[in-house]
Amino acid sequence: MSKFNRRKFVKLAAVSSAAVAVGAGNTQSALAGTPILQAGGRDFSPTTRKERKAIPTACWGCVTRDAMIGYVEDGRLMKLEGHPDSIRTLGKLCAKGQAGVNQVYFPDRILYPMQRVGKRGEHKWKRISWDEALDTIAAKLKPLRDAGTPELFCYHYGRHKASQAATMYDFMAAYGTGTIGNHTSICEGSKWVGQESLWGGMYDNWDYDKTDFVLNFGSNQFEAHTNHIPTSQRLIRAMVDRGVPLYTFDVRLSNTAAKSTQWVPIKPGTDGLVMLSMINVIMNEGLFRRDHFKFMRVTADHHASTNEKIAAVKAAVARFTPEFAEQESGVPAATIKTIARGFATANSACLLTYRGAVMHYHGADQERAAMLLSAITNNLDRPGGRVMGVGAGWKAPSSKKAKVQKALHIKDGFPGEAAFPTHHVSQSLLPMIKDGRAGRPEVYWFSCHNPAYVYGDNNGIADLMKDEELMPFIITSNIVYDESSALADIILPDVTYLERWDWEDMVSANQIAEFYIRQPLVKPLGESRCQGDVWPDLAKRIGIELAFKDKEDYVRQSCNMTPGVMEAGGFEYMKKHGVWHDKNARPNYGFYEAKVDVSGNGVILDEKTGTYWNWKKAGVASEAEAKAKGYLGSKGAKDAYVAQDIGGTAYLAYPPKTKFMKSGLLDFYSDNFASKGFPAFPTYTPVPEHVKMAKDDLILTTYKIAVHTHSRTAHCKWLTEIKHDNPAWINTKTAQDRGIANGDKIKVSSSVGEMTTTAHVTEGVMPGVIAISYHLGRRHSGIYGSGNSDPISGGAASDPDAKNMWWKKHGNHPNVIVPNASDPISGAMRWMDTVVKVAKV
Amino acid sequence: MADSNSHKSSRRKFLGGAGLAAAGTVALGVPVTTAQATEKKVPRWAMVMDLRKCIGCRACTVACKSENNVSLGRFRAVIQEKTMGAFPNTKKAFLPLMCNHCEGSKEDRVPPCVKICPEFPGKRMTFKTADGSKIRYRGGATYKRPDGAILIDAELCIGCGKCIDACPYGVRSFNPFVKAGKAPTKQAADKCDLCVHRLDNGLEPSCVNTCQGRARIFGDLNDPASEVSRLVKAHHLASDDNVLLAEEGTRPNVYYIDPDNLLKELYTQRKKDKLDHFVDQIV
Repeated sequence: MSKFNRRKFVKLAAVSSAAVAVGAGNTQSALAGTPILQAGGRDFSPTTRKERKAIPTACWGCVTRDAMIGYVEDGRLMKLEGHPDSIRTLGKLCAKGQAGVNQVYFPDRILYPMQRVGKRGEHKWKRISWDEALDTIAAKLKPLRDAGTPELFCYHYGRHKASQAATMYDFMAAYGTGTIGNHTSICEGSKWVGQESLWGGMYDNWDYDKTDFVLNFGSNQFEAHTNHIPTSQRLIRAMVDRGVPLYTFDVRLSNTAAKSTQWVPIKPGTDGLVMLSMINVIMNEGLFRRDHFKFMRVTADHHASTNEKIAAVKAAVARFTPEFAEQESGVPAATIKTIARGFATANSACLLTYRGAVMHYHGADQERAAMLLSAITNNLDRPGGRVMGVGAGWKAPSSKKAKVQKALHIKDGFPGEAAFPTHHVSQSLLPMIKDGRAGRPEVYWFSCHNPAYVYGDNNGIADLMKDEELMPFIITSNIVYDESSALADIILPDVTYLERWDWEDMVSANQIAEFYIRQPLVKPLGESRCQGDVWPDLAKRIGIELAFKDKEDYVRQSCNMTPGVMEAGGFEYMKKHGVWHDKNARPNYGFYEAKVDVSGNGVILDEKTGTYWNWKKAGVASEAEAKAKGYLGSKGAKDAYVAQDIGGTAYLAYPPKTKFMKSGLLDFYSDNFASKGFPAFPTYTPVPEHVKMAKDDLILTTYKIAVHTHSRTAHCKWLTEIKHDNPAWINTKTAQDRGIANGDKIKVSSSVGEMTTTAHVTEGVMPGVIAISYHLGRRHSGIYGSGNSDPISGGAASDPDAKNMWWKKHGNHPNVIVPNASDPISGAMRWMDTVVKVAKV
Repeated sequence: MADSNSHKSSRRKFLGGAGLAAAGTVALGVPVTTAQATEKKVPRWAMVMDLRKCIGCRACTVACKSENNVSLGRFRAVIQEKTMGAFPNTKKAFLPLMCNHCEGSKEDRVPPCVKICPEFPGKRMTFKTADGSKIRYRGGATYKRPDGAILIDAELCIGCGKCIDACPYGVRSFNPFVKAGKAPTKQAADKCDLCVHRLDNGLEPSCVNTCQGRARIFGDLNDPASEVSRLVKAHHLASDDNVLLAEEGTRPNVYYIDPDNLLKELYTQRKKDKLDHFVDQIV
């Protein structure tokens, strides 16, 4: 290890005043006996006792993207830790993050470009050079662009964030295609759509450091949260150190439910109803707070008084009594009342929702109910409440865009499938290619994505990808030979996230933005290359020049042009420290209370909505025309929003920063929803399939556990060793009714297929439900994930640990029996609505 | 090694048999924390596991695997979990387990794993405290350092497996990556060593570093101001109810904050000659 690195780390590990009496490399046990220990920031080899080289970087195991430190010994990555100076992670890292080491060194890793030589799915490949691979791809892409049909190139990504997404979008804009699919609709798209219809943004954070009460509908906060390490460590400490209660509504006794003050089992699809019944209790018992009503719109009238609004909310939720909610949800009315009172009377309270609450028919409306419950108790963007996430805002270089910009209309679902697909309908992208009416791409490139595994009816998706008529050319950039790359024509060996550059921007848990970067810990293995390095290379072959020469250059430029980071020392500072935040920044709360100057040129008040907007900025021809058409009727007015008039004061309020055209009020009465035939005010809409269930039908729900992501960790031996099988959780009574005993083989069948799995009979799941985690049942994911070695193994140094692999089970994938059905409001995948029959085999 | 060995230490075998241990305390030079140690300010490392804060996330399990390159099929640290009660009042709780770095029986202060080791006592070792004083003690294939860390010296191990059988907690196993130094056809025994390579450089063990709930608190029980000392006092942890298998008389240095009295119900003890209780699994 170099002196440079040790010095760096004395600085980096500023969290502790550790008495580091003697440096490393001393074989004396000089510090044995020093009782003040430093938490982290340095690491040593257990065998050689040499100090390991420490490099700040960032995780990509899941979307949380923790800032961390990688420890390298003789050029090999040995260990990952949370970055001690990160205000987000506070030096912690989860199991998946720790197992990032396995991502680099798993024995089946793809390390060379490969070209298919047999039929799709025959697993016959030949190794080719990068030049051959990129020339082949350019020979497909250039003619499409030259012919004015760039949209026939479809790019479909799973996890792309921050600069990994930005470099890709930059290339695609320079090329000219807008046929870019994502995956958010299979995650939690309905949650964001519900939020966007209200507070004009998305991604809530929960202020656990300051909260007094936490209510959780359907989030496995302690195992699999989208901002896991920053938030869950704060929540468990709030609970134990400050006695903050946590109530969890879930069909299953997750670790989160287990650690809660109370686990409240709930029937799938009824979370929103229970929230509405809590609103009923709070309104009827006068426990609401008047403070936030002035920012709310609850009827068609934009100018209703607070008293009128209170009366209207009362009336709207009158029928959602706790007793009615009990009948539908199985949650006792008394429990609803007790928790509602606790939530309303706590000084501050967080309402947490996730997939369990929103991945349903009308899931977006369930999120709106959550926002309403937060608003009437004045817990929106207030200390201790549900707050708007604060992340880093980077500046980045931008390439010249192509003149021709076109897109196939295949990313937002079939006509009529979703009214507000602001996060797209990714589960329908491939079915729409099959359908063909909206056109078919000539080239389909997927990356950090596994369509033949992650979507519903995934066997159907795989069949489509095998069809060379419908999908003539498939490219993937991947590290592992998985269900989808097995069906590609060209596989490009991607780097792992531990071998590449990025800037990162995930939301903080404490309302102060953190800027951080990812940098390579080791040289990319084999011939693997970062996609951000491939774009400029590919662009040249097509005749395009990008504004960056590789990903490092992109990150360097971004660091050197982003205010704050730039002044701190830019790229050199970030390479050395990894993280930066403004030491003078105060936590960001109550953005809606900012008072706004409305005296600007072109700013007018729209009488109907009470919205101030700038007609000039909106591009309207004259003030007279602007007034005649009004704010809601003028194209471009949304982007020219200035403020909301509330009782004679112009507040920033809730600007319409998304695709929803709205005033600055929280649109609990939504013209947008009403205009498409959906309930204007949050309501309870039973899942249609659940209403029609036969007596012996069950509801299938899926879930995540602590040690796996959906599809990108099965090849990680340290995780798969802990969790390699996924038996179906079924309640004791439900099992008895079917003659099923623990460990029995069972058949689970739905409208799209059937699967055989094992029963885990437990008191830890709601009767009437069967719950199966969806990480496992891999046909291909290397030796550790699937038991099958990759047929094109790139030659990664074989893992001497492989002979110690002891598990023979690899689980069963529930997606084969989940139909691709969408929430008609948001287009989100209805993961939790599938009706199944379960029988002993 | 962190310890400075006194060179060319005698490797002569000590007497075997039952009579040894009782007679052995002083003669074997097993470190003690009595007057001598107090004067020389030696720490007594201890772990407090706050069961209220363990969320079963397994970050510790995997951090340990990574830090110590622990092979598949065995663990140095695990979480046991158990579901209890009837729906809808079902509960689930988590129990982190590791080597207890036992104090040893009251009579001889020798933990069973050290006592059974045919290669103990081995070479003469010197432990250097923070203030520069030296404490002499005896090494072995399994031995106890004056700061309480129970360590394995793979170079001296003969791969006999007696320590594995002797540990009532079943935390030991053979390391397929490391040969027994004195019997190269066999594998060396292995277990948690408190990350001494970190500890000796002033760093907390890896599992402690990554514990997001801060359910693992590590420190010096000989320092009354340390967090572990304060927790032991505040939660009355110096009790048979707050350690595992107190009846074995091993006197663990791993203490559990357990206000709901779950410890006994949660703990799955090893079955004779088996170690499958010490494989971390999620259903």
